Amino acid sequence: MKTKILVSTLLALAAAGLLTGLPAAPKDLLLKNGHILPVAGPNLDGDILIRDGKIVRIGPGLPAGLDIEVIDLGGKWVMPGIIDSHAHIALEGDVNEMGDLITAEVDVRDIINPQDINIYYALTGGVTSIHTMHGSANPIAGRGVVLKLRWGAKASDLNFQGAPLTSKWALGENPKQTNAMMPGRTRYPRSRMGVEASIRKEFDLAKDYLKAWDEYERKVKSAAKAKQPPPLPPKKDYRLEGVADILKGKLWIRCHAYQSEEMLSIMKLCKDYGVKLVCFEHGLEGYRIADELKAYGVAVSTFADFWAYKWEAYNTNPHAAALMAKRGVLVAINSDDAERMRHLFNDAAKTVRFGGLSEAEAIKTLTLNQAVICGIDKWTGTLEAGKDADMAVFSRHPLDPYTVCEMTVVDGKILFDRAKYLEERKKAEEEKKKEAEAKAAKDKKVGGEV
Amino acid sequence: MKKSIALAVIAFGLSFGPTLRSAEPARFLIKNAAIVPMAGPVIDKGDILIEDGKIKALGKGLSVPEGTPVLDAAGLTAYPGIIDAFSHYGLVEIGAIASTADVRDLGKENPELQAGWAINPHSVHFGTGRVNGTTAALVAPSGGTFPGLAALVKMDGWTFPEMAVKPVAMSLINFPMTPRPSREGGSVQKETGDEVTSKLVDKIKDYLKEARRYLEIKKLAAANPAVRPPAANPKFDALAAVLDGTLPVIVSVEKAKDIELALKFIREEKLNAVLRGCVQGYKVADKIKAAGIPVSIDSLYQGPSEPEDGYDAPYRNVVELAKAGIPLCFSSGEDPTAGKDITYHAAKAVAFGLDRDAALRALTIDAARILGVAERLGSLEPGKDADLFLTTGDPLDARADVKHIFINGKHLDQANWWDLQYEKWKNRPEKK
Repeated sequence: MKTKILVSTLLALAAAGLLTGLPAAPKDLLLKNGHILPVAGPNLDGDILIRDGKIVRIGPGLPAGLDIEVIDLGGKWVMPGIIDSHAHIALEGDVNEMGDLITAEVDVRDIINPQDINIYYALTGGVTSIHTMHGSANPIAGRGVVLKLRWGAKASDLNFQGAPLTSKWALGENPKQTNAMMPGRTRYPRSRMGVEASIRKEFDLAKDYLKAWDEYERKVKSAAKAKQPPPLPPKKDYRLEGVADILKGKLWIRCHAYQSEEMLSIMKLCKDYGVKLVCFEHGLEGYRIADELKAYGVAVSTFADFWAYKWEAYNTNPHAAALMAKRGVLVAINSDDAERMRHLFNDAAKTVRFGGLSEAEAIKTLTLNQAVICGIDKWTGTLEAGKDADMAVFSRHPLDPYTVCEMTVVDGKILFDRAKYLEERKKAEEEKKKEAEAKAAKDKKVGGEV
Repeated sequence: MKKSIALAVIAFGLSFGPTLRSAEPARFLIKNAAIVPMAGPVIDKGDILIEDGKIKALGKGLSVPEGTPVLDAAGLTAYPGIIDAFSHYGLVEIGAIASTADVRDLGKENPELQAGWAINPHSVHFGTGRVNGTTAALVAPSGGTFPGLAALVKMDGWTFPEMAVKPVAMSLINFPMTPRPSREGGSVQKETGDEVTSKLVDKIKDYLKEARRYLEIKKLAAANPAVRPPAANPKFDALAAVLDGTLPVIVSVEKAKDIELALKFIREEKLNAVLRGCVQGYKVADKIKAAGIPVSIDSLYQGPSEPEDGYDAPYRNVVELAKAGIPLCFSSGEDPTAGKDITYHAAKAVAFGLDRDAALRALTIDAARILGVAERLGSLEPGKDADLFLTTGDPLDARADVKHIFINGKHLDQANWWDLQYEKWKNRPEKK
């Protein structure tokens, strides 16, 4: 009975066109004759067989079965879908809570906008997954989420199943608001000392909060045993619950930081409170403390060469990513910007010259390293049998200056296809031209009558 | 630092050493380089003789006076220095810190403000901006309708007068922009975008008309003591050379409709103009071509002007403008911290269909022509300034390394702000 109702509801929804978010089961797909950069192993020439949105096999001369779409790549380059571990796209409205200091209670999942055109732009640059997050105005800000760029699907279907939720922290100039982000208003803190103090204070409060609830639970139990009325519960505080989730290790901490000393300091803070940082965001001075970062075990999601827009971004160099990677730090090249996101493969190429990463390592900063940082390496980040069929096809090697992203595949579905785009563009332009000609002819006729 | 000294030693052999900067040779030879002169055919293994800051000769197996210092450039390719056709070099150090920015002033009409009065020759961005081969840049102020006067500078020099190729190279006009139609559900605009823009253009025309009248009366007064001269107006005085066509003016404009309005404006005001930006230029390429006006391409790290243009519109734009036969140059745009990126922009245009040679020309000789300095810059030819660089690969490839750079024949110490930090921290002893 239950199943029947469910089925009929689904049918109704589909008929009403409300199920665009649930794509039909993707057809099997065979990508033939590609230069494949699996990242998981050595590069190879061959084919990729995709079934039910997963990679089934990779190798030369794979046989095409019946009812399978075969695409001849003709020697184009295939790499794992690019992941951007630091993004603010696909979100509706502002991403910062400027007015309050700690905003651990907010969640970007409440404002996912699946129709943000930047999702499509990201696909045109080979990006298949992103970590989209709260802004950096708050020492402890809201929760972030990892999305699969399933362009055309509804908001809840963009969620990357299995990916951990994240907690956005921010240190330095942004939470200090020293760059006139809110002219005319001052808010504590105005120094790096204050930023750190505000995090410590919040953790102390959250610990007390947890203790109060533990005590309450205990009292409830003993009251029940003694057959006495239960005690009054402590006041619910969603902000402190958000912070408590961090203390309990439920969220992966992603900490926006630029200066090396504030990074060292926050690592100590985390040790004091028994929580673990997963990744520094930006970390432009991280190259100074690569050994400390490695010893602690924190990754850095950074820019290839964006710098000097503010004081804390001045003491850096485009070699920084390579310097950290060469000392064993897990490094990803992120965008933090909708436009930069579409040319991350160009950005990664810069690390080959600046700091001397190998091309394979440079590709890793876009793929596997990002996946590990986002906690999704079980499903994506490399091209391997069993993983999600997330990949990008390029006209040349992805680090070649003249390469163009030709096709982007998400869960085995081709969500960007440059050939199709060009075809549609041409059609639209011809139609527009025809319309203009018809209008001109009509205008002429009208004019003639007068 | 260490690296650059080492390079210098390798480069010049024992006749030179760490004292390179203080003891610049008046004459030296670059040997065995592949040479792409951007004037005439490529020389696959040739020499360049530099004398007193100029290119004296280039070709195969040049004979030089005994004792001429030699830089063996085997395996490297020589290109003329890249010219950045629009930048804020030396006008902004750190964007967020107001005290480090001298790029714009209050008000909309500041045609008299000279970038040269504010350029900081010691900005770190000159050094970091050179790493891909840029040897000269137009430095422009920004903001308002008339931001001021741009200077054309070399990317090296002890002082601004030493750097300046043209202390006053171009005037600037930011053309009004047609607002996008208001979105469905939004308030209905009383005037359409076109009308708003036309009115703003009329305002500029009125301003120029006023300037013309001022200049005319001033001229009359100079010739005739009976005519009372007008009160001094430096803004109008600064426009004199623009209005008589002796000083070229960069008109920054983006949308197709506005480009058409700008072309009409330029024609009516008889300006010697260069269009800048023109992201929707491909829609009116024939009109730009017919007007005979070159286009300065802005940073290509930007999205389409409107989503309807398609995701690749900024790149396609360059391709179509070139196809129409419009002279082009590239620029790094309004972010002086991203000056080096000019070659990445050119590469992006090539990826989407621009002929590679056309891209290289736009970075060098075409830029020199558009900026009116082709007699000195833009190609490797005898008599021209010795502004060039030697690279390990394709200059448009982010992976290639520019090994040597020369400005006015000076072999520049390549060490810059980035290298100083890199060298220092690369050598931090490993922490156990």
